[in-house]
Amino acid sequence: MERRNFLKTAILGGIAGAVQLKGNGLMAAEKMTVSSANDLVAVMGGEPAEMYKKGIEAMGGMTRFVKKGNKVVVKPNIGWDKRPEFAANTNPDLVAAIVKDCLAAGASEVTVFDHTCDEWQASYRNSGIEAAAKAAGAKVAFAHDEKYYRNVQLPKGSRLKEAKIHESILDCDVWINVPVLKNHGGARMTIAMKNFMGIVWDRRFWHSNDLQQCIADCSTFSKMPVLNIVDAYRIMTQNGPKGKSIEDVQTPKAIFMSTDIVAVDTAAVRFFAQFRSDMKLEDVSHIGIGEKMNIGTTDIDKLKVERIRIG
Amino acid sequence: MYRFLKKGRVVFSIIFLLLITSSFIFFINRETLLMSEFLKFQFVPSMLGIFSGGAIVFILLLVLTILFGRAYCSTLCPLGTYQDIVSRTASVFKSKKNRRFSYDKPFNKLRFGILLIVGVLFVGGISLPLAFLDPYSNWGKISNEIISRSEQYIHNGLAAVMPDAVFFRSYAHFAIGSFLFALFFLITVTLLSAFKGRLYCNTICPVGSFLGLLSRFAIFKPVIDKETCTKCRLCVINCKSQCIDLETQTVDESRCVACLNCTVVCKTNSIVYKYTLNRKKEAIDIKDETTKLRSEGRRNALIAMGLMGTALAAKAINAGPVISSRPKVTGIAPPGAMSIEHLKKNCTACHACVAACPNNIIQPATTEYGIDGILLPVLNFKHHFCSYECNVCSQVCPNDALKPLTVKDKQLAQIGQTQFYLEKCIVHTDGTDCGACDEHCPTKAITMVPYGDSGLFIPNLEPELCIGCGACEYICPAVPEKAMVIHALEVHQIAAEPTLDKQEKVKVDDFGF
Repeated sequence: MERRNFLKTAILGGIAGAVQLKGNGLMAAEKMTVSSANDLVAVMGGEPAEMYKKGIEAMGGMTRFVKKGNKVVVKPNIGWDKRPEFAANTNPDLVAAIVKDCLAAGASEVTVFDHTCDEWQASYRNSGIEAAAKAAGAKVAFAHDEKYYRNVQLPKGSRLKEAKIHESILDCDVWINVPVLKNHGGARMTIAMKNFMGIVWDRRFWHSNDLQQCIADCSTFSKMPVLNIVDAYRIMTQNGPKGKSIEDVQTPKAIFMSTDIVAVDTAAVRFFAQFRSDMKLEDVSHIGIGEKMNIGTTDIDKLKVERIRIG
Repeated sequence: MYRFLKKGRVVFSIIFLLLITSSFIFFINRETLLMSEFLKFQFVPSMLGIFSGGAIVFILLLVLTILFGRAYCSTLCPLGTYQDIVSRTASVFKSKKNRRFSYDKPFNKLRFGILLIVGVLFVGGISLPLAFLDPYSNWGKISNEIISRSEQYIHNGLAAVMPDAVFFRSYAHFAIGSFLFALFFLITVTLLSAFKGRLYCNTICPVGSFLGLLSRFAIFKPVIDKETCTKCRLCVINCKSQCIDLETQTVDESRCVACLNCTVVCKTNSIVYKYTLNRKKEAIDIKDETTKLRSEGRRNALIAMGLMGTALAAKAINAGPVISSRPKVTGIAPPGAMSIEHLKKNCTACHACVAACPNNIIQPATTEYGIDGILLPVLNFKHHFCSYECNVCSQVCPNDALKPLTVKDKQLAQIGQTQFYLEKCIVHTDGTDCGACDEHCPTKAITMVPYGDSGLFIPNLEPELCIGCGACEYICPAVPEKAMVIHALEVHQIAAEPTLDKQEKVKVDDFGF
């Protein structure tokens, strides 16, 4: 009896030990990459591709987010039929740099799309994003018709409880959210959370059902972007989100990255407030609601932030 | 020589038919506006556009007719070529006997009656009857409603097979009235041409009748040589205009479309084009009836030309329509239309603009412009709005109904004016942020201003900056009635230039957090 028990214990212990050992090894390896990564990275002073390179290194490299064979979506803002210098859409060079990096990290395919506000072909073309993304090796997906969207439940949403979301997002393994930093007449600011309006079909519903709440509700989506990269190379500080002329644009040459969508939006608003002192974080209320709904934190001073200046 | 000429005519006419049709085809049209230039080589468009670049084409077409008769009908007219194709195809299915054409008397009262009515109304500034009968404009409607729509189904079929490579073409609005009209017209013309050759051209078509009158004075006409003609009837059998009368051995040049078929089939070369200016005396020798017919024809010709002259004079002094239904205009005319009146006077509803609009917001009118504006292009903001950077409709219009606008001019062309209904606005009714209209407004005629002390912002409208593009109306989420509504302008205006809003360029070195 005793011997049997002893043997049993020994064998179990042996197995447990082996497993434990292996687990420790795994944990250790994981820790090494995680510990070196930051919660939030801000880069300033370079060209988009250059800033992206520095930023993603500080975030732990793209391999942290994209695994070999992953189907990846890069979702910029291509809302308007405007050329890149008008800052109405995400910078095409930044989109191209991200696409290339995803492919280098082993992505099996990278898809770029947006549900545009202006006529889609003109927006895709004149934003420069279609050409840049294709040249970088991405597939550019269509998003101009309801048939490209599928219904998804948002059980944690308070006003927006379901939404038709673009099939590329639903069918991919991971997606990366790449908004541009602009002021916005309705939502006050449009950054990472607001960029979700381009993955859904029916935007009017949001506008008529408490826009700020719906923006936050959509960020309760179970398949959140693995990384948010805010393009602030050129920013629109007035007349946003479409803008009238080049006068609406400032060129601070910055980008912000975080896995926390609320944190990255908070950082971007605080950055933006240097250009428009009247822009208060409280006024961009979808960010505060996002924090209350446990989507992320606005307390970025408590996060591990790395600030990088180029040149 | 005639054999060569005829082959040339056939090849040319088919190419021209394809060029005209292709300007209504989505893909070709999206890539280049070149094809739309060919629309300007049409009789009615060149006549309507006479004071804005159409004059050269118009004079060329008149000269062509004075030289060779109705050559236009066999080479440049897309509907004419279509009818030839139908009649040729139909003959394959007919027995040898049924295939033969015979001489028919002209329906002079009918054809000149139609021409007179169309002409008088046209002079009076009402182009609607012309719009319903003009061969080019109707070919346009057929191309847009039937050919282009078929292309859309093929396209979407391909999109289903190759979803990554071919995008799905969202369905354009289906204007049932316009579709049924095009279908009815197509069926009518197809049946007429399958059984009676160029009957439409010679009895109904006002362009055909007008050119027919003119071709009585043609310098070169088909003439039968009575000495060598054996009356073998080969020419009659092959004449789709049914205008060769072997009893008198004459060709009714007012109905001859210069297709050259008779000259090719004649075994004895007895029917040839001849210089006819010094043959007038001879004509008087022919039967009384013919003489009567001829002088009558000449009188008609003079009346027609008088009408045309008056019409052009009326156009030159920009006279208003004599009568016009004047209900409250609710239709918003496309940019470049200048005014609803200008549109009604110059548009023949060929729907080139309807086919060309990348946003599919131009559609055939029902009653928006009143009864005399039916089928004319009207804007609808239900599914999209007028792109700020686009001027395509004004570029493709061959008629001068839409004046060609540069993008810069178009961005100031006020086609309608927005009205803001506060009591329907989401910000007011729900007390939540919206700003969808402000977001879409390209000129910032709409801006968001503080709303009381609620911390909310509400749209503020500066009407003089508004160009009526419809973006705010389209996107406004208020139901069932929108808070932003574009009201039509009977006369288009020029909007105030958007302000520049200069701001200080700030240099920041800090991240702000």
